[in-house]
Formats: sequence, C-alpha cells, structure tokens
Amino acid sequence: MLMARSRHRLPSAQTIVGLVTILVTGLFVLYPIYFLLQAAFDVGDQDARPPTAYGLGNFAALPKYSEIMLNTLGVSLGATAMALAFGFLTAWILNRTNVPFRRTLEQAMAVPYYVTPLLGAFAWSLLGAPESGFINQLWRALGGHGAILDIMSPFGIAWVMALFEGSVAFVMIGAVMKSMDPSLEEASQVIGGGRLRTMLRITLPLVAPGVLGAAIFVFAEMLGSFSAALVLGTPNRFYVITTAIYLLVSQYPPRIPLAAAMGVSLFAVMFLMLFLYRRLISRRSYVTVSGKAFRPRQTDMGGLRWALFGVCVGYVILSVVLPILTLIYASVQKLAVAFPAAGNFTLDNYRTALTQNAVRYAMSNSLVLGVLTATIGVALTGMLSWLIHRTRLPGRGVLEYVAMLPQAVPRLVFAFGMMWAWLVIPIPVYGTIWLLLIAYLTVFLPLGLRTISSVLLQLDRSLDECGQVCGAGWGYRVRTITMPLLRPGMLAAWMLLFIASVRELGASILLMGPNSQVLTPAIVDAWFSSSSELTAAMALIQTIVVGLAVAFFMLVTRRAARQGG
Amino acid sequence: MSSNSQTAQIEVENLEISYGSVAAVGPVSFRVMPGQQLTLLGPSGCGKTTTLRAVAGLERPSAGIIRIAGQTMYSAREGINLPAERRGLSMVFQSYAIWPHMTVFENVAYGLRVRRHSAAEIAERVQHALDLVQMGAYAQRHASQLSGGQQQRVALARACAFSPSVLLFDEPLSNLDAKLRGDMRIELRELQHRLGVTSIYVTHDLEEALAMSDQVVVMRNGRVEQSGPPGEIYNYPRTAFVADFVGSSNLITGRLRPDLAADGLIALEAEGGHIVHGVAHGRAPAGEPVMSVRTVHLRLDAAPPAQSRNVWPVRVKRSVFLGDLTELRVQWGGRELVVRCGATAAIEEGRTAYLSADPQSCVLLEAV
Repeated sequence: MLMARSRHRLPSAQTIVGLVTILVTGLFVLYPIYFLLQAAFDVGDQDARPPTAYGLGNFAALPKYSEIMLNTLGVSLGATAMALAFGFLTAWILNRTNVPFRRTLEQAMAVPYYVTPLLGAFAWSLLGAPESGFINQLWRALGGHGAILDIMSPFGIAWVMALFEGSVAFVMIGAVMKSMDPSLEEASQVIGGGRLRTMLRITLPLVAPGVLGAAIFVFAEMLGSFSAALVLGTPNRFYVITTAIYLLVSQYPPRIPLAAAMGVSLFAVMFLMLFLYRRLISRRSYVTVSGKAFRPRQTDMGGLRWALFGVCVGYVILSVVLPILTLIYASVQKLAVAFPAAGNFTLDNYRTALTQNAVRYAMSNSLVLGVLTATIGVALTGMLSWLIHRTRLPGRGVLEYVAMLPQAVPRLVFAFGMMWAWLVIPIPVYGTIWLLLIAYLTVFLPLGLRTISSVLLQLDRSLDECGQVCGAGWGYRVRTITMPLLRPGMLAAWMLLFIASVRELGASILLMGPNSQVLTPAIVDAWFSSSSELTAAMALIQTIVVGLAVAFFMLVTRRAARQGG
Repeated sequence: MSSNSQTAQIEVENLEISYGSVAAVGPVSFRVMPGQQLTLLGPSGCGKTTTLRAVAGLERPSAGIIRIAGQTMYSAREGINLPAERRGLSMVFQSYAIWPHMTVFENVAYGLRVRRHSAAEIAERVQHALDLVQMGAYAQRHASQLSGGQQQRVALARACAFSPSVLLFDEPLSNLDAKLRGDMRIELRELQHRLGVTSIYVTHDLEEALAMSDQVVVMRNGRVEQSGPPGEIYNYPRTAFVADFVGSSNLITGRLRPDLAADGLIALEAEGGHIVHGVAHGRAPAGEPVMSVRTVHLRLDAAPPAQSRNVWPVRVKRSVFLGDLTELRVQWGGRELVVRCGATAAIEEGRTAYLSADPQSCVLLEAV
C-alpha cells in the first residue's frame, strides 16, 4: 500500500486487519494440508518425526484396498443418481408446473438439510435394519418372510445419503431452472417448434450444464461423506474410504501413513471434481442469465398436479417426517419395537441423557464452541469476503481458492492433518476445545464465506465509496455502512456456522480428547456402545437445543434491530 | 492553503490510468478555475468516469499529478496518493448511493458527523442543505420511501452539506426520466452558482454538458479529443468525432481552392464539384481537408436566398417528421446531405429547393 508522506508511516488498521486475516486463513488451511501430505509420503521409521524417508510406498499399497475404493464408488454413484433424481424431479415440479402449495413446499424442501444424514441414518436404521427394523417387523407381522428392506446394505447407505443430499441437488438445479428466461422457449414455439421439440432442443440443452454441475458437486460430497456409512456400514464391516480412514487412524496400532495416502487420494479426486464444477459454473453465464426479471413459465398439469404434489410431500415425509417421528417413537420406548405397548413406554432415556455428566459436559462444550465458531467465523469470513471482493489486493483470487479449499477435503481427512499439525506445535492446543475451535473455523470457512459473499456482492460498491468521499476512514465506514448493510448476511452466516459446528462429526470424532468431549461424537458413541433408544433421545435433545438456541438468537437480534432501527 | 484567483482549484496533469497492462485513460490534462464547472463528455467507455474517480481518490492512477487547491493529492513521481477520505472533496454518484439503513437526515449528516461537528450545528446545516434541494420536509423518511428524483436531491444535499471545496458529479441525472432531467439540470446549475463550488461533471449527454459547464472536455478512448467553452466546442469542432458526437454534422471532404478564397474565408471543392466557403478557425490544412457543417446550420428555401456564396439547388429525397424538427435528406453533388429544420420550414419529398449555409458555420477540421 502506498502511504502518503511521513505522518502515515504506521500501517493503517485496515492493513493490519487484512494481513492478520490472510495469515490466519493461510495457516489454518495450508498448515494441516502440509502435514497430511507429509504423512502420506512418509515411508520412513513410523516413530520418527519429522519423517526419515519419503516415497510413494503408501500409495503403492492402495490397490490392496480396491474393495474399499469400489465400495466408495458404488455407494457414491448410486447415491448421486438418486439424489439427482430427487433434486431434478422436485426442482422441476416446484419451478415449472402449477403444483398447489408451491411456497410451502419450497420451504419444506430446505428442512432435510437441517435434519442431517446422521439423524437420518439413526432413524432409517431403526426403520430398516433387517431384524429389528420397524418396517421389517411390520412386514413379518403381515405374513412376510425375512426382510423387505435392508438399510445396512450398500443400497441402504446410498439411499440415506441421497435423501439428505437431495435437497442440495434441489437447490442447485432449482436455481438453474429459475434463471431460465421463458422467452427462449417461447421463441422456439412461436417459430413452429412443438412442445416435445422445444423440450428436447431448447430446454434440455439449457439446463444440462447446470444439472451436470450439480451432479459433479453432489458426487464430490458423496465421496467425502462419513456419517451414514459409519452408522450403517461399519457394523457389517462394509467400509467406504472415509470410514476406512477413520478405522485406520483409531485402531491400535494406528496406520497413519496408509490413512494419509487414502486421504490425499480422496482429496485429489474431490479437488478435481470441484475444479470441474467451478469451470462448468463459470462458463454457464451464456446460457440462462439475462438480468431481466421474469418468472419461469409454468405448465398446467391439470389433475396430475396433485400427483406431483404427492411426490414432493413424499420426499419430505421420507427425509424429515418419518425419521423424526421414528426417533421420537424409539426414544420413549424401553426397547424400540414397531408395535406400541404400555409396558414398554418410558422417559428414562431422556432422564439418562440429561443427567449423565459426560453428556451435559459434551453439550456445554458444543454450545460454547458453536457460539465461538459462529462469532469468530463471521468476523473472519466477513473480512475475507471484503478482501476478496472489495479490494485490489494482488493475489486475492489465490486467497479465495485457499479459503474455499476445505470444501474439497472431507472434514475427517482435514482433521487428520490438523491432528498432526497441532501436535507438533509448542502451543498446548492439542486435546483441548481450542483445537476443535480451530478445526471448526477452518472446515466451515467455505460455508461462511459463501454466505457472506452472496450478500456483499449484492451491495452497490458506491455505498462504501460515498462514505469514503464524505471523509470517513475505513474503521468508521465498516461500523456505520458496511456492517449494518451486511447484517442479514452476517446473521445468516452466524446461524449456519452455529448449527454446523454444534452438529459437527467428522472433524470432532478425531480431534476431541478426554477433556474436550463434544456432543455429536458422544451421540455416535452411545449408538455403538449404549442403546439406540438412548441415542434417539440424545439426538432429539441436540436438535431441540439447536432449535432453541437459534430461536433465541433470532429473537434477540430481531429485538435489537427494532430498537436500533 | 491560500489560492488566489489565478491558480486553478483542480489541476490534472498527464494523468494515466491502467488496469494491468491495459491503458484505460491517458494521458489526460485539464484545469478547473475556482467556482467553475468542467464537464467530461464522451461516449460510454471513453474513460471519463475513471478519470473522475481518480480525482476523487477511488481509482489508483499509474502516472501523472492531481492537485486540489494547490495541494498534491496524487503524484506518481513523489509517491503520493491521498486516500479519498482525506481529499476533502465530495461526490454525487450515478446510483445515488443513498444508504438504505439510514434516514434522509442521517444520510445528509454523515459527512458532518465524520467531521465531529456539534449536534446543534449538524441539525442546522442538514436542514439548510435539505432546504436547498427542497427536501426539508423529508428529513425523517427512509431512503426506501423516496422516488428516484427525491433520492437524487438527497444525494445532492449530502454532497453539499459539509461545504466541500470541490464537488464531483458522476452522471447524476442519467437514471432520471427525460422531463425530470431537464428540470434538475437547471436546478443543479443554479445551485452550483449559488454555492460557488468548483465542480467536475461527467456525462454522455450533450445538452447537459453544454447547458451546465464553463468548460467541456470531450473524451474518446481515454484521451482528450477537444477542450474549451461549450460554444467553442459546438461551433468549432476540432475533429470529425467531436463534430459528430457533439450534435450531428455533415462532413464534407474535398480539396482546397486557395484561388477562390476571399474575405478571410477558405474555399473547398467538394468531391462532387460544389464549392463550399468556410472558416479555418486558425487551423492549417494538411492532408485531406474536411469541413463540418451542422445539420441545423443548413437552410432549405423554395426561392433562391439573397446570399451569393454557399447556395446550391438540390432535390429533396426523403423527409422524416421528428416532432420539433424535420430531418431531410437532399441530393448534393453525388452524395446526400442531412438537413434538420423546423417542421414549418420543411419541403416535401421530390421537390427542388435551394440549400444554403452561412460560411461562418462551415468549419475546417484539424488535420489528424
């Protein structure tokens, strides 16, 4: 930065804050990745640090685990195909047909995202386990034999993953359909193209890049997903790459270099996928966006629209209503069975969950971490967003890439690099909740950055420039103009970061220590070592606590806004 | 900072702005005397807004000097670049940039609050500024409750409230409808006179530039095409670009006939053989001489006019009624000329008439 004369010798607040942001981002993201790479290429003495020899030996060993790779590929492809089918169908119904109760349905479609695959996996396990699953109990009661549904199978895992990623696909494909100018189709019809011809020659080519982009994005997410495979696959020794990495790291003795090599391979594939995705998205501009306001044209489906309504409602029932009801039902039973009995009813699971010291401790840790992650994360990503979109900083494109990098690394793999990185550092953060805080801040950088940037980009740049011309310095402008205008984006980012951190599993499960227990791993632990009924109660309590915290936060900020404005 | 009436309030010398390796502006030089208004005029993409933003401190130049009231704001050689907030000027933005989370009062008070004026003084000066733009009754409104014209006025009040020595306008009227634009143009001019503030005004609208400025700088592709008072720019365009952009002109090429020059006029033999008498305006002809005759400076009469020079019988090929004006195309020495005249003076298509032009309005362009 160019400074004016001697009185400006000290760097300005703007420069200092900017530099700190860049350093923190770089350190948080790149330092663990460096350690991950180091571990992956370490072929020397296992007990020596830093490594005594480097080589490709760990990667050479990977073909021995081709079964795991095939499992991962099979489950991910199946789940992607199903999620896209859900997403495409619901997006088409809600954007292009005259389905009744559209607005309500559209809001309901966001809910699966908040239910999370972990809760879904618990619930669907209760419903579809081959022996004890409610659905299979019903099936046998109706005279069937064996199991009609096996949720512990690869198909079952893919089904649960697809249900919850479906709402992501819905949002992405819906955005493409929303941004399509109906006059492009009308032009085809006016010059004599029939409905089918228009659909094949105009509509499909226009939405194809967007759908392909969604497919790549969803597939990358599936490759890195962890919780459904952990809950449903591990009891049968069915491993995908993430659960295999977890097993290799947590078993005794741990096989760190092999796990690192798997992690790096996964990272490489996901990075490539997301790179392709970004290329696709950035070249999409020619297709659909035209800056004019319009509503996508809607086809009158006649009586069929109620069937389409049923499809959407069915999706919400399968992904939200049924799982939540199942968890509630299981949580008030001594032994979870399909058919209610008065003697089986109990509230003990809730009593146990709320009185166990370990659970209460984990809960308070999670809430503290949630508040800290959200608050610091909003400040950090807000600053990053400003640096990336509102300055002429050289290399700001690189900064954005670095900040978005955690998107391409499964949280479990990232935490693995972090474990090593912060173990060797002399600052005693390892095994404390501070390490978890650093981990959450890092893995949720892309989430916060995307949320705040979307609002920042909508703000006219001259609003800030006008303050500058009026004589206001940077700090004053941030306080009086930028922050108040960014408020909706910052609140949204705060909530998303809070919810995401309180329910984080992949990073927490590796990084928490005896003195830094957090809630979601504790719930998973209860699933494997206590009972599914207690787990259901804990999962519901977590959901309710998160819901209450969010409601409280909204109430407070809304009141503050009313008084302030 | 003492500055007598001889020194310019704003001086821009050899300013250059580039994005990466792409040169966007420059070199550009101009001076604005205290209390005067200079307009940067040009088509979109000519670099006028970029130049204005560089003066404001919102755009970082790559070379040159910017001085305001004798103080150096930017100098590439001395390594000086004052940030916008320390340049003590003010600006009206094209998008108005009214802060939506503040009331009208808070918007206008912003610059005063930054300067830590007392509450009483702020209240008084805000009221004064709002009265100046006839928005006194709207102080407690929110920006979202204002129409476009009202937002424009608030932006103006906000820019003036803290009595800046220099005001910058970035196409402030371009988002208003035509009628309102006409009214605001006059108001702005009056306000500028009343406040005696030095200003730079950016526009692509010819009428705005001519009506509001003491000096006009016509820009094209990042460079100054011509600068001078509005009358000079209009009457004596220097290049074909200025002649065409500032109003509409007929450009006539040919060869000079010094043998026919007389009475301080020059004579040009057009490609079709017609002789046109005109003025050189001190320009030395070189290469292929071109003359510019404004479409409104050509006359069409049914009977031969009294003057002896620049009278030609022509046939009207096409006549298009445009409301206030009628545009006629006449056949003239193997080409068409465009004539714009009042609707009543128009002559029907296919008729023969006498085309004439005052030699004073036939101007030799500078050789390029």
